[in-house]
Amino acid sequence: MKMQILAGAATLAFALPLAAQPIPVGHLMDNSGATSDVGQPYGQGVADALAWVNSRRNGINGRPLNVSGFDYGYAAPRAVSQYQAWTGRTRVVAIQGWGTADTEALVRFVTRDRIPYVSASYSAALTDAAGQSGRQGVEAAPYNFFYGPSYSDSLRAMLQWAAQDWKDRGQQGRPKYVHMGANHPYPNSPKAAGEALAAELGFDVLPAIQFALTPGDYTAQCLGLRNGGANFAYLGNTAGSNISVLRACQTAGVQVQFLGNVWGMDENAMKAAGAAANGVVFPVRTAAVWGGEAPGMAQVREISRVSDSAGNAYRPVHYISGICSAMLMVEAMETAAEGGGQVTGERIRDGFYARQNWVPRGFEGVCNPSTFTREDHRGTLRVALYRANVSGDTTQGSVAELMQAGTMKIENIATIDLERRRDWLGW
Amino acid sequence: MTALTPCGDWRASYAADTTIFPTRNSRIALLLGIAILCCAPLVFGRYELSLLINIGFLGIAALGLNILVGFTGQISIGHAAFFGLGAFVSAYLHERYHVPVLLCIPIAGVVTALIGLVFGAPAARLKGLYLAIATLAAQFILEDFFARAQWFTGGVSGRMTESPVLFGFALDRDETYFYLTLVWVIIMFVGAANLMRSRDGRALVAVRDHYLSAEMMGINLAYYRTLSFGIASLYAGIGGALYAHYLLFVSVEAFNILFSIQFLGMVIIGGLGSVMGSLMGAAFMVMLPEVTQWGADLLAGSSIDRALKLGASISFLREMVVGAAIILFLIFEPDGLARRWRLIKAYWKLYPYSH
Repeated sequence: MKMQILAGAATLAFALPLAAQPIPVGHLMDNSGATSDVGQPYGQGVADALAWVNSRRNGINGRPLNVSGFDYGYAAPRAVSQYQAWTGRTRVVAIQGWGTADTEALVRFVTRDRIPYVSASYSAALTDAAGQSGRQGVEAAPYNFFYGPSYSDSLRAMLQWAAQDWKDRGQQGRPKYVHMGANHPYPNSPKAAGEALAAELGFDVLPAIQFALTPGDYTAQCLGLRNGGANFAYLGNTAGSNISVLRACQTAGVQVQFLGNVWGMDENAMKAAGAAANGVVFPVRTAAVWGGEAPGMAQVREISRVSDSAGNAYRPVHYISGICSAMLMVEAMETAAEGGGQVTGERIRDGFYARQNWVPRGFEGVCNPSTFTREDHRGTLRVALYRANVSGDTTQGSVAELMQAGTMKIENIATIDLERRRDWLGW
Repeated sequence: MTALTPCGDWRASYAADTTIFPTRNSRIALLLGIAILCCAPLVFGRYELSLLINIGFLGIAALGLNILVGFTGQISIGHAAFFGLGAFVSAYLHERYHVPVLLCIPIAGVVTALIGLVFGAPAARLKGLYLAIATLAAQFILEDFFARAQWFTGGVSGRMTESPVLFGFALDRDETYFYLTLVWVIIMFVGAANLMRSRDGRALVAVRDHYLSAEMMGINLAYYRTLSFGIASLYAGIGGALYAHYLLFVSVEAFNILFSIQFLGMVIIGGLGSVMGSLMGAAFMVMLPEVTQWGADLLAGSSIDRALKLGASISFLREMVVGAAIILFLIFEPDGLARRWRLIKAYWKLYPYSH
């Protein structure tokens, strides 16, 4: 008996340090800064998914993830100093990042330190992994990954849909397209790409209209839109200021088909904008949304219970996208750990290249298939387009209730598979 | 009170009267302090070093603002724009003309000082609220220029830059960059302390204390007010250049008006009209979010968190603490950390006879 206990203790003592040594992972989020409206659900999705991997899947090959989350308030210098803390003290092997500010500030650092950085900034400039596009201002970003189509590719998909929609509705003449947004890296990111494709598809491209990233009175911009005779307008900003434009244009009676961007429209924004959001078309990164049915949704609901044990919270589109980007990183880590391999930044990066048309295990029908190669980090070129449908008063009741009652709906209107064009890499 | 020199320590020469560190012990403490700081990279990790580097370059810029606000009695709410200008000039010179980074940093300071003189011109005639508005204009003009001048700043998408190289040895790690920052901090702070005991420095203080009397004594008000702007911009430019080559990425987003206000906060918390206070204020501003973050981490998931249902709001709590700390400082210690430091020193020096 004594021998057995001793033997057991010895096995434990040998096995524990090997098996249960946690894997340090950094998680940058914006819960209090300029982009916290969408940063919170996304960050929650990432955090819940990683916690779920620890509790349900026993971490990465038995090693738990030690996730250290940090709210950097969308201030790049704070992200950089936190990055120093992570690489210096906790020695993270991968980072779940957030926006344009931190991602671009850290590109050179993560490349130097070989730490995969999974961002929620989908700037096309990050996809040129080997720096072969030769575009000005685009440099190799071999350790930057993201789940979903780039900002430019989302806009390209919406333009293709718009061109088709114009034909289907039997309209005559050339449709007019206009880019709207602040003079800021985030709205500007897809501007040139969108205008170039619009011209290619036979749109008349009107001069871009500027409006600030903060909510305000944008009646002047709406009247400009009407005077220009625009048919399709891209809203490049984040939700708060887009809502201001939508409401101002509704008041001014401007009839334009608005094309939202991936961070510019979600269920919360629909509730805030009310009837003004009705008809806005926007890209969604996942193949299913909350309340939808797909094989992978069971896992998503289970993950949601991590931070909502009652199980009745409504999770906006960003939450589910957060889960998908976390799961990509988790599986890349599993690949790195296969056969007792070390989980290092370099091996995790190679894990991203290990699969083609990659859907994280158990998330079928939720996460769209991604393919990463050494030269091309455009994970997916599939863009699901949804239309916001608001049919009543959204001021009463929560988002969950409004979605349940059908006062607000989001409907899939098209799924566009873009061509993997070489000249679109990094642009 | 100010110097706390021992009884019987008479000043028999001008040199003794204007010395920066009046006692032997204070000189020893200074050298010891620098020596300890030089050992910091051996003891501290990258995180602590990055905080120290932040304190360094923000402290240099805050010192510039202190010369303007604390010593000359002017006001500027456009300091962040000049800080940004220094960052962009340095990054641009390096990329476009391949000037070595170590040379770019002082050049950026000089260029920023020249531009600062231009924007400081209204200061020759304006005071108080009117001057505040004029500097606000500088903030917006420069910010807009950064966002539009693609050739210079890379436009809104920002500009990547590189680490300094010394004899083929890249200062690209915190351990090495720390020394560069330390050298600049020493140069700039010694420079400011020297300035304040020179003819020009005394003229600046005279302008602050009573501009009419100063003018009657023959001090050229317009000249010294504008000069003060130039010096403040020089400091901001050098601080900005150090920031640029540390972060390796400069973006217009960072240099907004909130950042300008933050510099004012550093100067007020540190102590208006105190050279060392500028560094203390910068340290306070850098450390406060870190400390509150640490507190928020402790609180997260605890029983207090559950009882008050804080959850995601914990991060807002942190922002509120920063604001509250500034208000409390203004109420309870309006003369800043520098005065508090002097009181602490006096306490120990006079112990047990202080009262």
